[in-house]
Amino acid sequence: MVVLKEGICPGLNEDMIKSLQAADIRTVEDFVSSDTEDLAQKCSLSYKALVAVRRVLLAQHAAFPVSSADLYEELLSSTAILSTGNPSLDKLLDTGLYTGEITELTGAPGSGKTQVCFSVAVNVAYVLKQSVMFIDTNGGACANRLLQMLQAKSSNKAEQMEALERIRVFRVFDVFSLLTSLHGLRTDIQRQASAGGGSVKLVIVDSVSAVLAHTLGAKQSEGMSLMMQVAGMLKTIAKDFNIAVLVTNHAVRDGNGRFKAGLGQSWSHVPRTRVLLQPVESPGNSSRSLRSATLTKSSRQACHQVEVFDLSSSGLSEDKGNSGKRKLDDLKL
Amino acid sequence: MQRPVASFPLAPSLKVKLINAGFQTTNDLVDLRPLQLSKEVGITHEEAVEVLQTLRCDSQTAQERASGGSFTALQLLQQEQTLGTIVTFCSELDSVLGGGLPVGKTTEICGAPGIGKTQLCIQLAVDVQIPVCFGGLGGQAVYIDTEGSFLIQRAVDIAQAAVDHCSLLADDAEQRKSLKEFTVEKILSNLFLIRCHDYVELLAEIYLLPEFLAQHPDVRLVVIDSIAFPFRHDFEDLSQRTRLLNGLAQQLIQMATKHSVAVVLTNQMTTKVWRGQSKLVPALGESWGHAATQRLILHWEGSKRLASLYKSPSQMEATVQYQITGEGFRDVPHSGPSRSHDDDSCNDTSGNYCKRPRVEGTQS
Amino acid sequence: MTENGAQLFARLKGRQSLKDIEPCIFPEDGGPSQGDVVEFHGTEGTGKTETLYHLVTQCILPAQCGGLEVEVIFIDTDYHFDMLRLVTVLEGRLSDSMEKRAEENETEEKVRSCLHRLSVVHCSSSVQLLFTLHYLENSFCCQPSLCLLVIDSISAFYWVDRSNGGESITRQEANLRKCVELLDRFRRDYGVAVFASTHAIMRNYTAASDATSECMTRSAVDFDKPYLCRAWQRIVTHRLLFSKRY
Repeated sequence: MVVLKEGICPGLNEDMIKSLQAADIRTVEDFVSSDTEDLAQKCSLSYKALVAVRRVLLAQHAAFPVSSADLYEELLSSTAILSTGNPSLDKLLDTGLYTGEITELTGAPGSGKTQVCFSVAVNVAYVLKQSVMFIDTNGGACANRLLQMLQAKSSNKAEQMEALERIRVFRVFDVFSLLTSLHGLRTDIQRQASAGGGSVKLVIVDSVSAVLAHTLGAKQSEGMSLMMQVAGMLKTIAKDFNIAVLVTNHAVRDGNGRFKAGLGQSWSHVPRTRVLLQPVESPGNSSRSLRSATLTKSSRQACHQVEVFDLSSSGLSEDKGNSGKRKLDDLKL
Repeated sequence: MQRPVASFPLAPSLKVKLINAGFQTTNDLVDLRPLQLSKEVGITHEEAVEVLQTLRCDSQTAQERASGGSFTALQLLQQEQTLGTIVTFCSELDSVLGGGLPVGKTTEICGAPGIGKTQLCIQLAVDVQIPVCFGGLGGQAVYIDTEGSFLIQRAVDIAQAAVDHCSLLADDAEQRKSLKEFTVEKILSNLFLIRCHDYVELLAEIYLLPEFLAQHPDVRLVVIDSIAFPFRHDFEDLSQRTRLLNGLAQQLIQMATKHSVAVVLTNQMTTKVWRGQSKLVPALGESWGHAATQRLILHWEGSKRLASLYKSPSQMEATVQYQITGEGFRDVPHSGPSRSHDDDSCNDTSGNYCKRPRVEGTQS
Repeated sequence: MTENGAQLFARLKGRQSLKDIEPCIFPEDGGPSQGDVVEFHGTEGTGKTETLYHLVTQCILPAQCGGLEVEVIFIDTDYHFDMLRLVTVLEGRLSDSMEKRAEENETEEKVRSCLHRLSVVHCSSSVQLLFTLHYLENSFCCQPSLCLLVIDSISAFYWVDRSNGGESITRQEANLRKCVELLDRFRRDYGVAVFASTHAIMRNYTAASDATSECMTRSAVDFDKPYLCRAWQRIVTHRLLFSKRY
């Protein structure tokens, strides 16, 4: 609702507002929705002036159609596909994460969502040399693990540090802080883009469900509204700045015991692509780091394709015994 | 950049009033005085002040975030190193956890009754106080007991064992000096015990805890033993329970990060029948499984006690054996053949932590 | 209101009918004609948007390739529009209809000329949707070749509007109702066909044990309940329900 006020539009003066209010026209919506000719008569205002004001107001508030040919042209030049560094995932995602889109990872606790996020972040920061925003909402961000993954890729400490510096971590634990940081992020990226600085190519939110799940379900619709606002912000960031957005969501069982992404129907429309992670249970196999990834939503590939990969292969599972403090000792910063 | 009013942490009814008075975004509000706002929207002066404060404070934090509120992964790494870990006195478990229980994270410990959850919690509440010169954190602990299972005599035993252990290790002047401060009495006085009888009390306590932590900056550990008990019944509406629990989990994670404390929650196990097979799974439902950053499951295998790291952002999953002795939570002596499968490398790793108390010492 | 020659012509001549747009979906003689409003309703992953792309493609394809060769405006309210996917569909149709294997750049050229018939506009709130529709009125008025308005999806602002409207349902629905009134005028006065998708979303959490698991235990039919404002229900002439079968 936009209230008719002096100063919002040239030609809309106080007298005009008063006569419009007398006809019960208080908002811009009311104004543009009423018949201009009727209004001119009812309020004894100049038809010409009203038409002019209406035109300006519409121009101020409407969105403008763009020819899809131009859109396509722009898209071809700006879309990038970011490899996740994991061949199995890349295969499911049709070569990687597309900029301008939201990709969702879902799975039960311990299914490896955060680990996949880490390895994607490391790959984008180290191999593709692009900046990554990592929004951590469940305390899972663990730089030590990122370092382990980097060490598996390179033994050059300077390169490792450089890659770590390309990953920016935000820690937010409630939905309002998440919205604040997303709005802040948008402002930042805009500023960077106008300054021609290094641009962000990937935003990771691990996890959206942690901050959203408990706001939903009460009788009032505020939780849903907040969820759709988060969705809107993520999509805007993805589309407007050509950024790939990767989110994680928890999984729930449906009536048949199959896993399905959480947060309900309204959220289910939000991500463009969705991958379900599940542990592979094979008796006699002591390795518990095998995971299967199932494509459950995609506009490019046939759904329900399954790929199996090893979570530990992107890190240093073999060196597990050496993890922890010694790693840190090795690294005098 | 404009931000819609609906995205601010204000009361929903207040937001409705603002939006319907034509205040859609921060830009519409930013230049207003409280008096003007209360008149135009038809809200009280106090409400108007609150609205404007929320907006300003939020745009400030946004700016802070832009300048230094977020940090690079490199800074996070440095931060993680300074936070350290709390040892469990079971070296195998410590190495699985990456040196001990991480500070700044939440860890859930699940297990059947009698498996040793409370023992481990008391052990941690003592160990967090080990002086810095012995490789500890020299911190304090908050222990929220919801089941009434905290036994002071056990705490005394475990504390005594830890003191004895450290005195065996002490070999320089600094360590000897700090030992004078590290006594059972001192340990007990640095352990803040809170008894909660139902979930309302627990929620209230958690709500007040950040203030307490601000006043006691040395607290490095918050234990809630157990989270499941107060939530086990009294809930007709299970979705309300899920919401309360998820909200609680977020509060705890925030607390762990902001005040640099390790948060430990214990949870019970419950039987779930799935495709004709019954299986022991952690209580409180599937979505609760996402709540804690790490999940450790204690379970029996015959007469052996095993600890499995089930979910962790930094460590690989693994299972190790432990025992509960008179002195507390300990390694199983290595001579036995009863090693669990995937951890043969652990013998060597305990040597990496030069100042970490060796468990073998206490058993002499 | 005054009318110029082009407008008069557009009104008198009438717009091309979309009756034969897709015989597989619409029954014989039951296809959408001028001024019909078709609702595409379904849960996530049931193919509403994909179907819309297919229908849009059908509209913008040249007549010689079996298309209707009309212009389309696509209002994307969810930031959901997938240009690459649409082009893939379009290319598929073009290569099917071309007799021989055409040159690479020839297809590219054809794709572009088809895309010129499609305009896309993003809206991020129901208020903006309303203003945009008003702004578009002029185009419908003056461009007789503009036959179809697609809104994907018209339910996108449902939750935000509902929350912003407070207790009053009238207020919750105010913007959408105004949009619908306008759509009604487009279809009545200009004979524009409107295709709009609505997400099937759950509406009631309270009875379930786990807020998020409830939707799984109910079957798809529980989601076909119309929930948008009455005015919308009234102007819909065709309603397509999408569901998935495993």
